[in-house]
Amino acid sequence: MKDNGLDPVIHVPARLRIMVTLAALPDGDDVSFTRLQDLIELTPGNLITHLRKLQDAGYVRTERNGSGVTARTSVTLTSAGRVALEYYTTVLRQLLDSAAQRWPGMRPNRL
Amino acid sequence: MNEESGLDTGAGGTAGMDARNAMVIVRDAQQRAQRELRVRRPVLFLIWGLVVLVGYGAMWLSVRGQRPYHGPAWETLLLAFLLFLAAAGASANVVDWAASGVGGRSEWRRGIFVLSLAAGFAALEIEKQALWHAGASRPVVALFGQAIPLLAAGLVFVVSSASPARLDWPRLALGLWLLAVAASGAWTGPVANLAVCALAGGGGILLMAAIEPRLRRA
Repeated sequence: MKDNGLDPVIHVPARLRIMVTLAALPDGDDVSFTRLQDLIELTPGNLITHLRKLQDAGYVRTERNGSGVTARTSVTLTSAGRVALEYYTTVLRQLLDSAAQRWPGMRPNRL
Repeated sequence: MNEESGLDTGAGGTAGMDARNAMVIVRDAQQRAQRELRVRRPVLFLIWGLVVLVGYGAMWLSVRGQRPYHGPAWETLLLAFLLFLAAAGASANVVDWAASGVGGRSEWRRGIFVLSLAAGFAALEIEKQALWHAGASRPVVALFGQAIPLLAAGLVFVVSSASPARLDWPRLALGLWLLAVAASGAWTGPVANLAVCALAGGGGILLMAAIEPRLRRA
């Protein structure tokens, strides 16, 4: 954890977008690598790199099915990933709330 | 490539990401995911509401004033069938647009939903033929046949409205409404029942197209 309590694995724009996008899927659903790439707008190389980081942390699971032209790589948010994202957004809200209390002119963006 | 900064993509930069920026990213990503991954049910309700309204409505216009009742003209039945095919194709497109690349439980649920509808239609249609074969009169068979689409759709909507995660109120309400229309409309006779199915059935589905987003948010 960083000093501010935000998970450094998630607290990177591209990875945060990946996590939030995967969390929008109902539990038990997965999304193909190519569709995720369209949604996140990253190059395949960058997406693979960020997914590897998230996979190493146990937040996402990737699975390759089939072979050749029918091969499909699917990406799923794990239960640990869902919990980590919920915790991350909770901490984020607390940070913004406390900042708003210190500087009343600042309005936190609500989820 | 600097994967932490993501500067080579122009989209993954992290330099100086504070809590406010992070919250903006969370909100934008949520909105985009919901916009692109959610099946647009109001569009589906609009399509099927129009099919029910126009299909049953055309049949009612075709049989209005018939004494004794002998059924809609074949051109009207063909129109209803073509409308059904067009709506099925359009619905498949709407679902594919959102569900492309998405697998897992939702894919299974969609498959079971379509299979249940098809099985329900087929079973009730076979039952209608059995009624005819057993000597039921044309008005009786017609009443049963007119109710088939609403009965099948209503039952499937009601059953599929409950999932382990939540109760789908709009789907449950629409299913119950369609069952009520199918059951009550039959008492008006084979001619007026077509008007009831068109107006109450189609109208109910169109109303759901208009209010479903608000109901879901509530």
